[in-house]
Amino acid sequence: MNKKFWYLLIVLTLFAFLLVACNSDSGNEEPSDEDDQTEEPSDEDSDDGGEDSGEDDGGETASDEPKSGGELVGAMDTAPAGVYNPIFYSEAYEANILSFTHEALVSQNGSLEFIPQLAKEWKTNEDQTAITFQLEEGVKWHDGEEFTAEDVVFTYQTIADPGYTEAGGIRTEYVTPLVGYEEYVAGETDEFQGVTADDKYTVTFHFKEPNVNPLYYSSFTIIPKHIFEDIPVSEMPSHPATLDAGEVIGTGPFVFSDMVEREQYVLTRNDDYWNGKPYLDKITWKVVDQSVITSLLETGEIDFVADPNGVPAADYDMVAGYDNIEMMEQTDFGYQLMGFKLNYRTTEDAESGTINPDNWIENPDVADQQVRQAIAYAINRPGLVQGLLHGHGSVINAPIAQQFWAYTEDVPQYEYNPDTAAQMLDEAGYVDADGDGWRDTPEGEEWILDLAYPTGNKIRERSAPIIEENLEEIGINVNLGQASEFSAYIEDIMTNDDQNPEVDLYLLGWSLGSGDPDPNGLWNIEAAYNISRWNNPKSDELINKGLKTPEAFEQSFREQVYAEWQNLYATDLPAVLLYAQNKIYAYNERLQGVDPLPYSFINNPHLWWVNDAQ
Amino acid sequence: MYKYIIRRILIFVPMLFALSVVVFALAKAAPGDPFTTMLDPNVDPEVYEERREAEGLNDPLPVQYYHWIWSTVQGDFGESLIYNGRPVLDLISARFLNTIYLGLVALFFTIIVAIPIGIYSARNPYSWLDYFATGFGFFGLAIPNFFFGLLAIYFFSIKMGWFPSQGTISGTDVAGMQEFFDRLHHMILPGITLGLAGTATYMRYMRSEVLDVLGSDYIRTAKAKGMTNRNVLYKHTLRNALIPIITLMGFEFGVLISGAVITERVFNYPGLGTLFLQGVINRDYPIVMALALIFGVFILVGNLLADIFYSVVDPRIRYD
Repeated sequence: MNKKFWYLLIVLTLFAFLLVACNSDSGNEEPSDEDDQTEEPSDEDSDDGGEDSGEDDGGETASDEPKSGGELVGAMDTAPAGVYNPIFYSEAYEANILSFTHEALVSQNGSLEFIPQLAKEWKTNEDQTAITFQLEEGVKWHDGEEFTAEDVVFTYQTIADPGYTEAGGIRTEYVTPLVGYEEYVAGETDEFQGVTADDKYTVTFHFKEPNVNPLYYSSFTIIPKHIFEDIPVSEMPSHPATLDAGEVIGTGPFVFSDMVEREQYVLTRNDDYWNGKPYLDKITWKVVDQSVITSLLETGEIDFVADPNGVPAADYDMVAGYDNIEMMEQTDFGYQLMGFKLNYRTTEDAESGTINPDNWIENPDVADQQVRQAIAYAINRPGLVQGLLHGHGSVINAPIAQQFWAYTEDVPQYEYNPDTAAQMLDEAGYVDADGDGWRDTPEGEEWILDLAYPTGNKIRERSAPIIEENLEEIGINVNLGQASEFSAYIEDIMTNDDQNPEVDLYLLGWSLGSGDPDPNGLWNIEAAYNISRWNNPKSDELINKGLKTPEAFEQSFREQVYAEWQNLYATDLPAVLLYAQNKIYAYNERLQGVDPLPYSFINNPHLWWVNDAQ
Repeated sequence: MYKYIIRRILIFVPMLFALSVVVFALAKAAPGDPFTTMLDPNVDPEVYEERREAEGLNDPLPVQYYHWIWSTVQGDFGESLIYNGRPVLDLISARFLNTIYLGLVALFFTIIVAIPIGIYSARNPYSWLDYFATGFGFFGLAIPNFFFGLLAIYFFSIKMGWFPSQGTISGTDVAGMQEFFDRLHHMILPGITLGLAGTATYMRYMRSEVLDVLGSDYIRTAKAKGMTNRNVLYKHTLRNALIPIITLMGFEFGVLISGAVITERVFNYPGLGTLFLQGVINRDYPIVMALALIFGVFILVGNLLADIFYSVVDPRIRYD
């Protein structure tokens, strides 16, 4: 009996200890911000190393020469779904692996210009209906086979295959502008004419129409023909060469050699890398819960954390205080917005999926441009950036990613000013007619704005009540609904947007691609993702003008057109852009040679090295 | 006895059928489908529509149900819609053992802590240790799982370095016996975290059951016969006190299989709980429906096992 008592005592003291520990360090643990990558995928193509970055200075320890050897551990907060095939993968976590293993003909540099990767040079024809690439010679796939023009043709041919979409592929945007796509995807011909191999190292892309940005369309990551040619497209997603470490073959500086699924993903050096042997022996991705990442950075168990979520803004100061950690911060490709539901679809149209602006029903609650502008003035956006992002973000006014040449600051700014807002509403006739403390419509009817928002992104969730408060301050009666789960939310605001339930204001975030600033996908009148159902013919006119050839071959022409469009946007305001969040990267100071791209931490990983390598 | 078991198993069939209808109806009643959450301005919505058509999501519900139940009966749970067409069975089997192991460790922890403390508390009610155990019980029930998990990680893993904090294994190169111990090492913290609430509950149950039994007439009789305290405890008290515990464990069995979303997340321990949650969020119907059915089977089996154990513990209970 006595013995048992002592065992008990030990167990209990252990827990007593925990209780004490609980008081002393509970401050560190912030509930993690839920990753919301599902709704905001971008078209990041996992482009990595460009060949012409020889001037890389290896971080700030310039005196140290890069050393070979050493290992690195990266952390991601969610496990990749498991499809390691560039033509079928769909999320940022898979891209984290593919960025090391696969490459494309061209990559992008810090100013988002396309630079050579697997192609060393290129030439477009006069009307930009064709672009011919000269490939690097002597590039080897991980299994030793040579990379040739046939691989490029095969990759695009597979994406154009009639069975591609059915097999789960969604990247058809890269092949739709190519010659002969329709015939090929319909199964009318066995020959895909869009991409042709002129000889072993020359490949030409043929476009149906003059193309403004042919490099973008030829920037898709290349897969090996000799591995996949005998596999029907429908079986590719479930083939070992897509799923299994050791079987995934690319041309990149690291080989995906081993994994413990959902826990660890091991990349080992590709000794035969065409662009020079990588310094690091091994890079291991570990899947680590968001709430633990920062502690493991401090202990050195993990060396870096980067895309897609990085370090939460709330933890910035704490992590920056670690002696062994370097921080890096850059603007995310995308923004959060509060959209105005300008028009609804009819129930029939919503059910059949028709987008016909002629049938749209205007939403009188936010139809007045002046009202929308007043609302923009009333929202304390710098306050959101300070309060929710701890200053790690920026207020933006134009819906093009800030990193692009096309982005302009020169648009109406809507600096926070409740007085201006109130005054504008007074002018527009939205005054409190019945004395209940809330503004009413100019007709004297009750005016209530329904604000809808989804769960998932915690920061966005927290912004909803703040916005409500801001608007109520100037007398707008806002009905803040319960946050709904994302699938349900999207049905309400986009798929079945027929006034039922009524939505006037909605919160949403978009991640943008780094390839081209063309806003067609989100803001074209008939685009499904034009959730505001913004119907301004002038906007479509400008968007189309930005792609009109031959004028649009000149970037300065496009720049001017897009500036005009951004101005129209910021004046007509189909949505108030709330903020663009910053990506916060953190890495151990032993890691050298880090040179992130605006859209990715992983750039030229073959030049990464560690200063404690043996 | 065997007849009884067979009869019980036969009853599973209509129950599972009813369950399948409910699961299917609920899964489909939720708004949205796997493709509504995939919003990518670079992807033509037509593409998603084609995928819907290809996956049969546009078929009438009875047709969809028929396709699903028919392939399920043949042992084919279909393919995940989110994990790019990976077979559901693969996804589940990859995590199934993890979940089972973790559940067993948690259960083991629960039993070795809860039952002795419960008994001790009952035999020495209102002793300071009993009060302490009561306090611990409330603590265990009250503290949120994720918080306790984070504390455990912070204290035992990061500060003391005794246990690994994440995952089920150290690396890809451990094998053999080393792998066994490595996996066990990884399971201890999540196991304790997962078992904590159960420990507290069972402790309280055990205490009150043992107290109850100790006060009953037959114990007094046994004592009057001159039986030693030890014998009274093990021969008479425990057997009777365990019966309600076994009922609870029957349920617990199913619950443990269904995974522990929060514990799995904090420790990045890949198990069925996270898979199920992800499935629900993404409307990955094949995964949700397959898992719901599997959980159902385990709860039924757990209850059956509990019933069988009754007759082992209490000879008065006979099935025929």
